[in-house]
Amino acid sequence: MISASDRTSRFQESLVAAQGEIAYLDSWDELWDFAASLGDDTPVVSPAAHGFLRRGDLPDAEDPLRSIADRSVGITVAALGVAETGSLLLVERAPVDRAVSLLTRHLVIAVGQDDIVDELAEGFRWLADQPRAAAYATFVTGPSRTADIERSLTIGVQGPSRLTAAVLT
Amino acid sequence: MIAEFTERYRRAVNDPDLRPRLLAFQRSWRESRDAQVALLEQRTERSFDELRRDFAEVKDATLDRIDDYIAEFRANAEAAGATVVELTTAEEAVEYIAGVCKARGIDLVVKSKSMVSEEIELNDELAERGITAIETDLGEWLLQLAEQRPSHLVMPAIHQKRQYVAEILGEELGREFDPDDIPAMVASAREGLRRHYLAAGTGLTGANALVAETGSIMVVTNEGNMRLATSLPDVHFVTAGIEKLIPTWADAERQLQLLPRSATAQTLSTYTTCITGAQPGKEMHIILLDNGRREMRLDDTIGAALRCIRCGACANVCPPYQVVGGHTFGHIYTGAIGLVNTAFHHDVEAAAGPQGLCVSCGACETVCPVAIPLPRQILQIRRRTTESGHAPRWERWLLRAWSAPQLFRAAMKLGAVASTLARAVGLVRRDHIRLPLPRRLNWRSIPAIPSQTGSDLIDNRQPQPTLESTPASGTTVDLFAQCLANRLMPDTVDASARLIEAGGANVNVPPNQHCCGLPAFDAGDWETARRMARAAIDALSRADHRIVTPATSCVISMRDHWPQLFRDEPQTLSRANAVADRVHDLAAWLDGPGRLPDGCLEQEESGSWTAHRFCQSSNRGEPGARIDLLVERLTGETSLPLEEAEVCCGFGGLTSIAAPEVGEGIIERKLECIMASGCETLLTNNPGCALHLRAGAVARGASHNTQHYADFLASRLPDDPPS
Ligand code: SF4
Repeated sequence: MISASDRTSRFQESLVAAQGEIAYLDSWDELWDFAASLGDDTPVVSPAAHGFLRRGDLPDAEDPLRSIADRSVGITVAALGVAETGSLLLVERAPVDRAVSLLTRHLVIAVGQDDIVDELAEGFRWLADQPRAAAYATFVTGPSRTADIERSLTIGVQGPSRLTAAVLT
Repeated sequence: MIAEFTERYRRAVNDPDLRPRLLAFQRSWRESRDAQVALLEQRTERSFDELRRDFAEVKDATLDRIDDYIAEFRANAEAAGATVVELTTAEEAVEYIAGVCKARGIDLVVKSKSMVSEEIELNDELAERGITAIETDLGEWLLQLAEQRPSHLVMPAIHQKRQYVAEILGEELGREFDPDDIPAMVASAREGLRRHYLAAGTGLTGANALVAETGSIMVVTNEGNMRLATSLPDVHFVTAGIEKLIPTWADAERQLQLLPRSATAQTLSTYTTCITGAQPGKEMHIILLDNGRREMRLDDTIGAALRCIRCGACANVCPPYQVVGGHTFGHIYTGAIGLVNTAFHHDVEAAAGPQGLCVSCGACETVCPVAIPLPRQILQIRRRTTESGHAPRWERWLLRAWSAPQLFRAAMKLGAVASTLARAVGLVRRDHIRLPLPRRLNWRSIPAIPSQTGSDLIDNRQPQPTLESTPASGTTVDLFAQCLANRLMPDTVDASARLIEAGGANVNVPPNQHCCGLPAFDAGDWETARRMARAAIDALSRADHRIVTPATSCVISMRDHWPQLFRDEPQTLSRANAVADRVHDLAAWLDGPGRLPDGCLEQEESGSWTAHRFCQSSNRGEPGARIDLLVERLTGETSLPLEEAEVCCGFGGLTSIAAPEVGEGIIERKLECIMASGCETLLTNNPGCALHLRAGAVARGASHNTQHYADFLASRLPDDPPS
């Protein structure tokens, strides 16, 4: 058995290797303060994260993407984390669920420390058992990137340019 | 429209930036990919080979029951609200997509990367029907702006330099870009593409896998454009080949162990997205395309190519790809796989041009994450293009002359006389004739042809005294001298005989041996290859001695090509197999039945050496491939390290004649590594490679000597062995 703290440190190592960042926080209140300190405007919050935080701007239900395009900080919540790869699994059935993770500049993804699994295979097992989640689910591993111009790795293309996993301990 | 092959070739070899850029890419990919694979092996406690064979089995089992899996996929995807259509041809796919767009009044499509959409040339086809398609992957978008096509499966714009990117972005967005500010150019994609996402009525994506158990698609990307393209528009098209089916999510995970590591040397790409069915209030159309795939599967050599997961690794290790890039080495699909599947997704005509560029080094197969026997498949396709009349005329003549022993011998004699004359008038230096060659050919000198053949030398000398008795002592060994070595490297043939004799065996050189048929087989001319092989089989069947040869390539030819050539001639096949079973590569012999003891040869104080290891036998893991270890063992000397010791030297059969710039580009890379090693002597193990490397070094004025390892070892045989 791998201990929870080993798993968390492995998760951290993998995530950092994928140019992601990590913060360990005790509560949703702390998470809010942390996220709010990252940008000049109020964080936008995905419907799932709003259920826990009960504050922040929600994307507009009618035109979710346009309403939050390029806001500086967004908060969403992952179903689970994967230590092997540093990935976070986002379950985002409708565009309104996805808006925050698609278009904000600095994305904060909350994940419970107990929701971190060892291997990607476990993540897929979870997904196979949750047909509703698989409607639109994404393993996100670090900020968006490209190496399309002369192989030069550039972080932040069309998605977020910074990504922080907020591990709730 | 894709330009003619000769035009593409000309453009590629005249681009001075292409080679260095692709070389840097290949080298850095190799390093990071190897590190990733090593970590994977460590974590799973399984070798890359085991992992890839496992996944290849999954792919094969799925392909063998493809219709069942399609049915399962369809039922699940449709239950989740998607529309699944199976289409046979590229035209049908285009019509379907255009039809749905027309019916919904859609005239703008945003696309995430999809090779199938390239395959069916969707953008051009839609444009003709009044529908605009915009690529949203940064590299693809840049290419679209430049009216170009991807030159790599994963890094579409790898051939493009930043100055050019700055220029085309400047034109599109109406402001100046600093070519050295790549982040600013990348950031402009956000602004340049946003309006298209917002205006588009439909998003089109490919799929890396179609998961039958839930009817889902899985797509991996790094930029995030795929998620945008499937979130804003109301209609989502998925274009995928039927070979993308896999049974379960567990299989998807296995694919992911191999795909990003092989593609971009990442543990996992940034976004691995799974979509099941249409999203609320939207439409999803999944197009499963055949376009030659079922026919491909029926072909027992080519069928395995359908396992391909489009990682691009086969291009990343390909020496000719490094010289000419994907616009030339391939058609729409690039790299080794492009030389195979083009014949099925497009036509033999389209597949023919690049065939002659492949040097058959076998590097692609070693990294392919689904273990596709690409080299063998390419030779099979080459056979088809040759048989349908696409081989150059000079090649047919050359092979005809080569295959007629009398003609070959006469030509060589003539060459020997000319060489003697040239020597008399001082035109020969370092055993090469100094002739003013045209620029295209002057990177390789012409070897002077010695007046005696290898078998002449052996006939007219005393056998080497026994140095040590070995399991082969007292037996007779037939020496296969090989056509090239016998004429052009007679000393090597003699040296080989002496090394065998040093182990106590008697050497016999069977008469009338000529050529195993390799050059014709490589050129796709199986008729001629059969003729040559039959003659060699006759010559080597007179006795049932063990056969040894210094020509490593011919061992592979006998063991691997002959069974293919005589598949439908059971009698010849069994004779061919009987010969192939008796044949040993000299290096393997000296470690095997004729094993000479450690340190039995004399050490020489002066003279550092290193070894270029014949690519084909190295890549296939043949016994005897590690000649450096053999030479170290026998002499007690240590080899200097050589970078890329197993990367092809560029001889590649007729490639260096048909495409001299490719031969030049590859040997340049090789000679740079050799010269950087600081060796005085370069050893190698295949006569073709030895001749090629020597001629290249002489032309370039490099100071090192090039030797077949047999010469090197034989020169260290003690003069007075213990009796
Ligand atoms: S043939 Fe193999 S190496 Fe080449 S792209 Fe396909 S899976 Fe990758």
